[in-house]
Amino acid sequence: MDGSTPIPLGLCEKTMRGLALAWTDFEARLERVPLIQKLNRQALKLEDYRALLLNLRQQVIDGGSWIARAASSVDGEHFDLRSHFLSHAITEHRDFRMLEENFVSVGGDLKDIQGGQKNLGSEAFSAFMFHRASQPNPFDLLGAMFIIEGLGQQKAREWGTSIRDQLDLTDDQVSFLLYHADNDEDHLAEFETWVRKVAITPEISDRITKTARIVGRLYALQLEEIGHG
Amino acid sequence: MQDTYLTAAGAFLPGLPVSNDAIAQKIGLIDAQSERLGRLILRQNRIKTRHYAIDDAGQITQSNASMAASAAKAALENSNCSGADVDLLATATTQGDLLVPGHASAVHGELATALPDIGMLEVANFQSVCASASMAMRTAYLNIKAGEKKAALICGSEFSSRWFRPEFYQGALDRLAEKETRMSAEFLRWTLSDGAGAVLFEPAPSVHQQSFKVDWITLHSLADRFDVCMYAGSTGAARHDLARGAWAHYADGPGAAVNDGAVMLLQDMVLLKKIIRGWVGEYLRLIDDGKIIPNQVDWLLCHYSAHSLREELIRLLKASGAMIDEEKWFSNLPTKGNTGAGALFIMFEEFMSKGLAKPGDRILCVNPESGRAIVSFMMMTAQ
Repeated sequence: MDGSTPIPLGLCEKTMRGLALAWTDFEARLERVPLIQKLNRQALKLEDYRALLLNLRQQVIDGGSWIARAASSVDGEHFDLRSHFLSHAITEHRDFRMLEENFVSVGGDLKDIQGGQKNLGSEAFSAFMFHRASQPNPFDLLGAMFIIEGLGQQKAREWGTSIRDQLDLTDDQVSFLLYHADNDEDHLAEFETWVRKVAITPEISDRITKTARIVGRLYALQLEEIGHG
Repeated sequence: MQDTYLTAAGAFLPGLPVSNDAIAQKIGLIDAQSERLGRLILRQNRIKTRHYAIDDAGQITQSNASMAASAAKAALENSNCSGADVDLLATATTQGDLLVPGHASAVHGELATALPDIGMLEVANFQSVCASASMAMRTAYLNIKAGEKKAALICGSEFSSRWFRPEFYQGALDRLAEKETRMSAEFLRWTLSDGAGAVLFEPAPSVHQQSFKVDWITLHSLADRFDVCMYAGSTGAARHDLARGAWAHYADGPGAAVNDGAVMLLQDMVLLKKIIRGWVGEYLRLIDDGKIIPNQVDWLLCHYSAHSLREELIRLLKASGAMIDEEKWFSNLPTKGNTGAGALFIMFEEFMSKGLAKPGDRILCVNPESGRAIVSFMMMTAQ
């Protein structure tokens, strides 16, 4: 990064705080999503789980693509961030297969999940991600990754084990959720390193936290729209 | 608008301090498992001594209201006010002694017995869990600020241990066979204890001892997003459908509710972790709004139920760059126990009597309640 301009004091902390606040707002909103409420209240049905998988799959299939596009929008000066994005694209791009396997394993028809449509929330989420990924040096996508990785670290195991126990399933049938829980360790420490490198002006800092808030809102919308066709 | 000052504090803790190995003598054991779980929980909460309004023979020694009145009397004795000066009594507790009427009336009655010059006054009755203490303080603060009242006595008290006697559980042992329910019951049994605290709010600082100007008090309920977390009055699953699940709605009457485990005090430990993050979110919002500047806080009095939860809080605060250095944290949880709605007052009484604050010091009190997720913050400036 350019060493000639002094980085405002505490900017990394402010960014991390903004991200933490975006996360807690997001997590609180999730608690109000009807499907998550059913899950939390031990009232989930198998068809709810199938609907969750079917809806997630339509957006997850785009995950590798927007990260790859984001990587290609990063210029040569910031090659380390480009590599960081690319490494994520590699781990994300086969996730949708696991979703399909889970779906079939709980009585779903492969044709249904492969032929599914994005719901309104997934459309908005995906479109926003591609839009931001197409901007030159889309550093703010760190904010998006904070939320998405947070989902893996904080929610995936909670949801996966709860779905498994409530519906009397095996680990293999909830592997998409459990696999994510295993793969997103240490995300805070790593994040702080990236934020320190990238959030060097108040404008970038604000943009990162704004993108985190938008992603949280749209992700929750995607879950709210499950069952709305 | 008047300024509001905290001018005196008082505390009352029943009986002698009870060490970890004497707890079972007071609250008993549900069954053979209780002791093992108790040891585990005590390692997590790191409470060393606490008090119970129960004697060694298991007899109850006093009421919740009488403990509150003793603390209120102590606060008045530490002040320049007489009983006759008090024009508002705001009380806080999780459960009064009676279902009907309110706890504030019982405390007023007890106080009038203890202090003959206590007369007619306004009462405000707050029943919640720990945050009821902050509701009472906020009401008193606003009354003084508006010039409506001149001496507001606020007390918080708990008699949790009466809930923990084995008889409250034994009709519903099948519910406790479930590991999570068992832990959620035992966590509270080995963490909560009895006691009361009180503070006095006035429109001017005390002339003979250090006072604390109340700068602001916030209180937010997060029940719009979170389910019930710490509760008594229904079983775990039924708490989401109170029309059917509330204890008084059992077709076979309240005895059937007891035998179904609907009057056990329980804590949903999974939901608690999420609620903690919700509290931290409200704290971060106050920082963003400029109301709290972490490095300008000189003392942090944070009510938390167990040391393990303090560590969880610290981890979250550090991660979000909002930590207040640990040497600024003041707590007497290890010696006085977790006294719920009384805890913040009991903490403040000790903080004040130790004379730790220098004039100008900024003191932040944090009072979260897991019940259905409430969090309150209060900023004071030492005079």
